[in-house]
Amino acid sequence: MSASPAPAGFPRRRLLAGSAGLALLLAGCTSGGSGQAAQEAGNREARAQEDRLAAQVPVQEAVVAAYGAVGVADAAVGESVAALAGQAQEQLDRLRAAAPGATASSSSAPPGPPAGGDLRAWLRDQVGAAAAAHAAACVEVSGAAAALLGSLAAGLRGHVAALA
Amino acid sequence: MADDGSTGSTEDAALDDVLAAEHAAVWGYGVVGAALPPEGRGPAADGERAHRDSRDRLAELLDERDADPVPAGAGYELPFPVLSAADAAALAVVLEEGVSAAWVALLDAAADAEVRQLAVDSLGAAEERAVAWRTAAGRTPVTTALPGLPD
Repeated sequence: MSASPAPAGFPRRRLLAGSAGLALLLAGCTSGGSGQAAQEAGNREARAQEDRLAAQVPVQEAVVAAYGAVGVADAAVGESVAALAGQAQEQLDRLRAAAPGATASSSSAPPGPPAGGDLRAWLRDQVGAAAAAHAAACVEVSGAAAALLGSLAAGLRGHVAALA
Repeated sequence: MADDGSTGSTEDAALDDVLAAEHAAVWGYGVVGAALPPEGRGPAADGERAHRDSRDRLAELLDERDADPVPAGAGYELPFPVLSAADAAALAVVLEEGVSAAWVALLDAAADAEVRQLAVDSLGAAEERAVAWRTAAGRTPVTTALPGLPD
């Protein structure tokens, strides 16, 4: 619509640069009195934001692992959620790009789905829990990090709806 | 995020952008509902109600800040003719994706944690509705990896 719901002035480049480049903010302080103090404060904040993003990486890794576990437990169900699994991986890639200091976790895989249980219901629970965790983290950060985590949380809420 | 004293105005501007998107969504859902058969209008009515609630909350927030909430547009132009139930569902997808982009922009701009809470809750609800409308419109996949986030 011409009076479009899309925000015409949305700073796409700023958001992208921010989410992909929080680490760049950590590089080198320049000299100069109060300016230096402000920059150091900014660097500390950027580090804190990246740490908070990094803390969400295992949460998203667990989502990817859960989709994988369902595929192993039942190939047909795995096939039916293949598109969702691909999106979960895309979300993880985006999150890792924004938090390059995060390391892959060896313990992010959740317990496997219950044998003979409802795989989609189990998956819904796993994904729903991750969505809630991303949403809570979103509120605790700001700027590009908040935008990314909020979008991740919403994407996973969509997965929960699709799995219902 | 601005840290030069303009944080509040940046946040208010983003709130106003979301409000403009919500005005458009309320109007658009009227078109969506009108194009659906009477027995299928429930989801449209639910969507319209949700966007009215968001609109009113945003206007209230801006009022509290002594900012002038943007009024609804005098008219809106549809992105395509809405002549069938499938068109209606496709329009609802456009509306939900539009407000999602605005909510994400607000998350990027918001300094206030309560505003971020409102934004993330509303963004998630918009994506849930979008999933239902993509399904009704016959789209695949019915989900998006990163709702509202620029590519």
